[in-house]
Amino acid sequence: MTELSQIDLRSLAAGHKRTWDAFVTAASPVINAVVRRALSTYRLSEDDVLDAAQDVFVRLCANDFRLLKTYDPARAGLSTWLAVVSRSAAVDLARRRRQATAPIDEVPESALAVEDRHVEKLKIPDGLLTERQTLILKCLYDEERDVAEIAQLLKIDAQTVRSTHHKALLRLREHFKEEAP
Amino acid sequence: MSTERIPLDDKALWQSLATAPPGALAAVSDMDFAAWLEGGLPEIEAARLDAAVTADPALRQAALELADILGKQLPAAPARMAVRAQALVGFPAERQTRRGWLAWLMPDFGQGAGLQRGALAAAAVVVAAVGFMMGGGISERYEEAVYASSSQSSSSTVVRPLGRDTTGELNDLFTDAT
Repeated sequence: MTELSQIDLRSLAAGHKRTWDAFVTAASPVINAVVRRALSTYRLSEDDVLDAAQDVFVRLCANDFRLLKTYDPARAGLSTWLAVVSRSAAVDLARRRRQATAPIDEVPESALAVEDRHVEKLKIPDGLLTERQTLILKCLYDEERDVAEIAQLLKIDAQTVRSTHHKALLRLREHFKEEAP
Repeated sequence: MSTERIPLDDKALWQSLATAPPGALAAVSDMDFAAWLEGGLPEIEAARLDAAVTADPALRQAALELADILGKQLPAAPARMAVRAQALVGFPAERQTRRGWLAWLMPDFGQGAGLQRGALAAAAVVVAAVGFMMGGGISERYEEAVYASSSQSSSSTVVRPLGRDTTGELNDLFTDAT
């Protein structure tokens, strides 16, 4: 079986049938996995999953492969780009068909919490934390993700996540301690 | 605020603070997002994507899901999925819309039908050429046979390239009449 990295992109964008067939075979596993995962929070059938995957392929070859021609191999791998495109297509399809439903146990506590607007939160000043520090704190505390997941997301070591988290909290404590009268 | 009000617990501290409200969410292209997911962006561009992912919970959810999927061995897709997708490219209706109105004249290399059309056209030319040559050869031989028969029947008459000399027959006719 041809790997995605072996697909001749010129031949694919030119619409050659053999290349397209090889591309479909190689791309189906990633598209299938992403679409299934994206639709898992929506109560959709197996046919909906197949339709969403077909929608991805239609998007790729529509208008003389216009979307496929936007892919730049110098910037990211084909499977990563396909995964991004597939997720967008699947979410669009799900929104068109049904409202999202998720078991309450799978929703993070923070998403269910009703914010008490009477409690005034202290605003983190701009520039106190880097974007990456803020992202790591959000993933840890708002999304309730573990360190390994965040490390996988950011393509860094778990130890780097821990140290970034530690430095961010030190900065926050330092800042608000100084600000206190 | 007193220092005692700063929660000791990290999570409680974070939740007691408010990040800057997101302004208009920056548009992130699929290509940029894919590059960010692979961790291959330069620092400045990565920071822009970090900010976008931090500000947009939907984008953050997408990033976490995709990072999880891309790090795993993926199961095979259902056969129906590939069959349906393969049917999208390469059928005559699709080719006609994709190529111009003169496209049927041009061989489409890499696709079986184009080669087939070319081979058929070449075979038709060969058959026509052979037919023409055979036809020419037969008429030539027929002409030679006619010449031969006319020269035997009246050796004194001038041999004409085409047709039969009827001068002797006319002379005989008038002799009988007198």
